[in-house]
Amino acid sequence: MNKIRFAAVEFPHDPKVKGNKYWYICPFEGVKEGDKVCAPLGRRGGEQSGVVREVVYTDETHAPYPPEAAKRIIKPVAETGDYEIVKKRSLNTTVTLMEIYAPLVAKKAEAGQFVILRVNGEGERIPLTIAGYDRSAGTVRIIYQIVGATTMLLDEKRAGECLSDFVGPLGCATRTDGVKKVCIVGGGVGCAIALPVAKKFHELGCEVHSIIGFRSEELVILEDEFAACSDSLKIMTDDGSYGEKGLVTQPLKAAIERGENYDEVIAIGPLVMMKFVVATTKPYGVKTTVSMNPVMIDGTGMCGGCRLTIGGKTRFACVDGPDFDGFEVDFDEAIARSNAYAEFERHSRENCLLMKERKNNGD
Amino acid sequence: MAINPKKHEMPVQSAEERARNFGEVALGYTPEIAVAEAQRCLNCKNRPCVDGCPVNINIPDFISRVKTGDFEGAYDTISLSSSLPAVCGRVCPQETQCESKCTLGIKFEPVGIGRIERFVADWHNANFKGEIALPESNGHRVAVVGSGPSGLTCAGDLAKKGYKVTVFEALHTAGGVLVYGIPEFRLPKDIVSKEVETLKKYGVEIKTNVVIGKTLTVDELFEDGFEAVFVGSGAGLPRFMSIKGESLKGVYSANEFLTRANLMKAYKKDSQTPVMHAENVAVVGGGNVAMDAARTALRLGAKNVYIVYRRSMTELPARREEVEHAEEEGVKFEILRNPVEILGYNNPENPRDQKNGFVRGIKLIKCGLGEPDERGRRKPVEIEGSEYELDVECVIMSIGTSPNPLIKSTTAGLDVNGRGGIIVEESTGATSKQGVFAGGDAVTGAATVILAMGAGKTAAKAIDEYLLKN
Repeated sequence: MNKIRFAAVEFPHDPKVKGNKYWYICPFEGVKEGDKVCAPLGRRGGEQSGVVREVVYTDETHAPYPPEAAKRIIKPVAETGDYEIVKKRSLNTTVTLMEIYAPLVAKKAEAGQFVILRVNGEGERIPLTIAGYDRSAGTVRIIYQIVGATTMLLDEKRAGECLSDFVGPLGCATRTDGVKKVCIVGGGVGCAIALPVAKKFHELGCEVHSIIGFRSEELVILEDEFAACSDSLKIMTDDGSYGEKGLVTQPLKAAIERGENYDEVIAIGPLVMMKFVVATTKPYGVKTTVSMNPVMIDGTGMCGGCRLTIGGKTRFACVDGPDFDGFEVDFDEAIARSNAYAEFERHSRENCLLMKERKNNGD
Repeated sequence: MAINPKKHEMPVQSAEERARNFGEVALGYTPEIAVAEAQRCLNCKNRPCVDGCPVNINIPDFISRVKTGDFEGAYDTISLSSSLPAVCGRVCPQETQCESKCTLGIKFEPVGIGRIERFVADWHNANFKGEIALPESNGHRVAVVGSGPSGLTCAGDLAKKGYKVTVFEALHTAGGVLVYGIPEFRLPKDIVSKEVETLKKYGVEIKTNVVIGKTLTVDELFEDGFEAVFVGSGAGLPRFMSIKGESLKGVYSANEFLTRANLMKAYKKDSQTPVMHAENVAVVGGGNVAMDAARTALRLGAKNVYIVYRRSMTELPARREEVEHAEEEGVKFEILRNPVEILGYNNPENPRDQKNGFVRGIKLIKCGLGEPDERGRRKPVEIEGSEYELDVECVIMSIGTSPNPLIKSTTAGLDVNGRGGIIVEESTGATSKQGVFAGGDAVTGAATVILAMGAGKTAAKAIDEYLLKN
């Protein structure tokens, strides 16, 4: 009878399952107690960083878990570093969630703030707004869209592997004082950042109305999470394949006209969406805050790359923002500046794809 | 033997060659040249050069050792006063410091102190194989905020006295302006990392990716058991002129342009960080940073690089050597000119034109020089109706910075002046907050590496006295 190798894995970074051991089929020879592995965990197809606690090599009848039902360890991870990816889960074909072990950042992180990371020692510094944090586990959640070379490289990383740099929390937290009723408007991957903001208002006892928009059904993310912290939730898709067909500004306008009397509207998403949210709320004079995500290098107020024109004055998203009064933002300028490196990005994305293809073909 | 009236020439890469590469411009003295240059020193009694040095290196002593070929001994002498000799030998403005006081300089050219210092440091880095004698720990912990020249100096001096020093750096690499600002061709990054490695051997711990004021606050450092904190967080937000067109694509602050090129290595083909490779570039400003930006732009392939400065050549604040190097390499000086507007490309026929929103030129106005201002520099006076346009696709603003707001906004009891600089007692670096000292650009606004080092040194001495007293 064929023998099968099983490994019992513990996930010490995940407070929900810490201390438990789960049996996996281990297709890798030489894996031993104490090794770090990347293994699937949970119903939603995520993977986590775990530690092998026991290995048995046995036949089917003595298997610690029915082999036909057991999941397989994805890969052993030898890499160690300061900023370990403890959890990774794909939210849709282009959007991924990661939790990074970074206790100093997790300790201070607030909704609205961001981090800057580098995937490897040669890499670009990219800013990503914080999508959540767990202070006791010491982890920070990021959700990114795979759009350029750096996010592609990031997405190649597996749970258990490490990022070379992860710094934060940067920027100012979203202000919540004096708000009793708020409308959170999220667009696309911007919903990932809008969620902790909605959660925060919800925890403070505010009435939270959320409107989230996506291009189509398969791109919808975080629906359950939004539902859990919103008093009302409206989902919009451009093509009507899920929720209601239309733009986020339609239900927003309807709500304001209905007399919802929001103390504040907070819009987080593509620049064009935020521009139109502002155009919608401005005639009614409803205070509107937008979260800006311009080009950035150091993120600490040194390079000036993230400058924006706010109320006619130069402001820096990294230290003055990223939240700004939507009525004051020069969106056309921000939109123009956002594609300054479009050509470069196209090239490096293509290069990255080419490399990936070669790797897959075993060249 | 008659004294050679001239300094020994510094061997350099030819201007045509170096203007297209990022290799170091100055190649350094050979041992023979270094000894010959050292022999020019009169070893005079009153040693005015030492007073000219912000960190008071015992210059005649190290030069005497070079004379006898004792290069390692010379290095030991320099390290007593300076934690970054290979850096200082390259970027200090010696002509206005030690060398300006040199007795030989009254009649002839002064001794090439900086060039000999550089030789000694490079010789040590290449040849020293021994072990560093570690000081005995005194058990006291000091935090240093920022790993630029002031922070590294302060950390080095304290570590050598037996303090347990931790340096917190916001970026992913230690070195501050030495790695993100000063270009490779003037200060190779290998040299900086070697100096940092030397400090680590003295027991200095460097924590990158920690932003003090965000990740941790100054007060939390004290709670964590640090007994004193030195703030050397450097210059902050770049200034702009508030003229039309500054938000166009192709307008950089010098900090951003240099950070992309140096720290993020955008000049390398495989870099993942982009930087614009423009054919025609205008750099606004006349300081060392402006020269660095202009010369970097040349090396990135620009055909025409203009320094736009509102006063005349004599008022240029940059080091003379840097200006000369820039001129030799082909940088053009549009002096007595002030920018009025940055012009953008806009195709009204096609709103999707890829070039829309990019810089196409800069409008300058000619200036004359008027009465001297409060600092004695003659004020530029714009000549009405003299505007003209210069065709450029990239404009780099290099007109200074204002101090970083992150620390002052999160540290209660830390007083700053009207411009946002931390207020310190000059002789000690002590701030208004007990146990907190500061120095470098965070205090003075944009200044030089050696002044920052001097401030780090002053503060290290004061921190030592403060902790011994308590």
